[in-house]
Amino acid sequence: MTQGIARTLAAIIVVVALGLLAFGGVTRGFAAVTSDGVRRVDLVRAPRTLPALLMIDQAGKTLSLADYGSQSSYTTFVTLLYTSCDTICRTSASGLAFLQQEIRSRGLEGRVRLLTLSFDPFNDTPAALAKHARSLGADATLWRSATVASPSDLEPMLNLFDIVVIPDGLGGYSHNAALFRIDERGKLIKAYDVDRADLALADYLYNKSEP
Amino acid sequence: MHLSTPRYIAWLPGLLLVAGAVLQPWLEATMARHMGLEFPLLFVIGWLTASAAGYRLARIIDPWNVKGLTALVFTALVTAFWMVPAALDLAVLHTSVGVIKVLSWLVAGMLMGVSWRQAGVVIQAFFIFNWCWMTVAVGLIYQEAPQQLCSVYLVDDQWNAGAFMVFWAVAVFILWLPGAIKSSNLLGDGDDSSKTQRTN
Repeated sequence: MTQGIARTLAAIIVVVALGLLAFGGVTRGFAAVTSDGVRRVDLVRAPRTLPALLMIDQAGKTLSLADYGSQSSYTTFVTLLYTSCDTICRTSASGLAFLQQEIRSRGLEGRVRLLTLSFDPFNDTPAALAKHARSLGADATLWRSATVASPSDLEPMLNLFDIVVIPDGLGGYSHNAALFRIDERGKLIKAYDVDRADLALADYLYNKSEP
Repeated sequence: MHLSTPRYIAWLPGLLLVAGAVLQPWLEATMARHMGLEFPLLFVIGWLTASAAGYRLARIIDPWNVKGLTALVFTALVTAFWMVPAALDLAVLHTSVGVIKVLSWLVAGMLMGVSWRQAGVVIQAFFIFNWCWMTVAVGLIYQEAPQQLCSVYLVDDQWNAGAFMVFWAVAVFILWLPGAIKSSNLLGDGDDSSKTQRTN
């Protein structure tokens, strides 16, 4: 019986240790319980480099995503959406519209810029992106809209931002949207709640170096 | 008739597992079915496997499992782990994690099938109370959460998944209670002297 208790105790310790490892791993050391939270922790701990994916913007010009990934005087706020979306993308887009307003009123034109990336390259042609940008009052000098030039680059782009797109059952798509920030080093360093562009701005203003 | 019963139990887990595998895309299409149907199904399959294996399985496990304690701790951790939304996402997005998920539920069910009776009513009560309140609490959080919990599931689905959790917590409690009252002699039959032995 004593041997049984000792063995059972040992077995329980092993089970609990494995449990702690599993919980700790999935929740990044008990820091997050949702994938969005995990993404936030991951980005802060390990900022990501932007790969050289060929993109096309609302004016039909090509660019590389890596253009945003090099040292510059700019911080870039990025959000991902598709233009025919009527739900969460509106929130994402209105967050950027709010930021555009703030950039102008605070005179941050040389320091902050905006980027919307569409994950629907089939429907979001440059013309569609331009129409969407106009409807949001986007100022092309501050705010660019783009999508991948080749559909095969869609997957790497979504992976970079940890975006999972699922059909919403209403003919559209649901996706774990967020507002992302690329810093002056060109690293993807943070994700904010998509409806809290104000917090993203506050975080930027609080941490920015003085000019 | 007596002979056919063990045979029936022997092929039932396998059959259910095949059914589960066939239905897997349907079961995992929504969060509610994934958590509310697939998890319990896998657990029950494990439990039935333990019944089919009988003493052979118990003989292997028993030395490490006094009073079923190891099994109870394992099952508590497995059920809690798969309530973490990030874990559920990983299970859907990565096949390897999905396989671990299936195995962990099957093993939990199997260990519980072997251990449940030997745990005795006091240890059962400790486990049941903790498990039920945990599951109800998480279920209510799922129902109330304003944000999308899982990347792979819609926000509208969370209420249903939470409702399933509350349902299972209540159902398990109600299923367990009558037997527990009976075996613990809680209502009393005037035979107090044997009370402590009976719970063993």
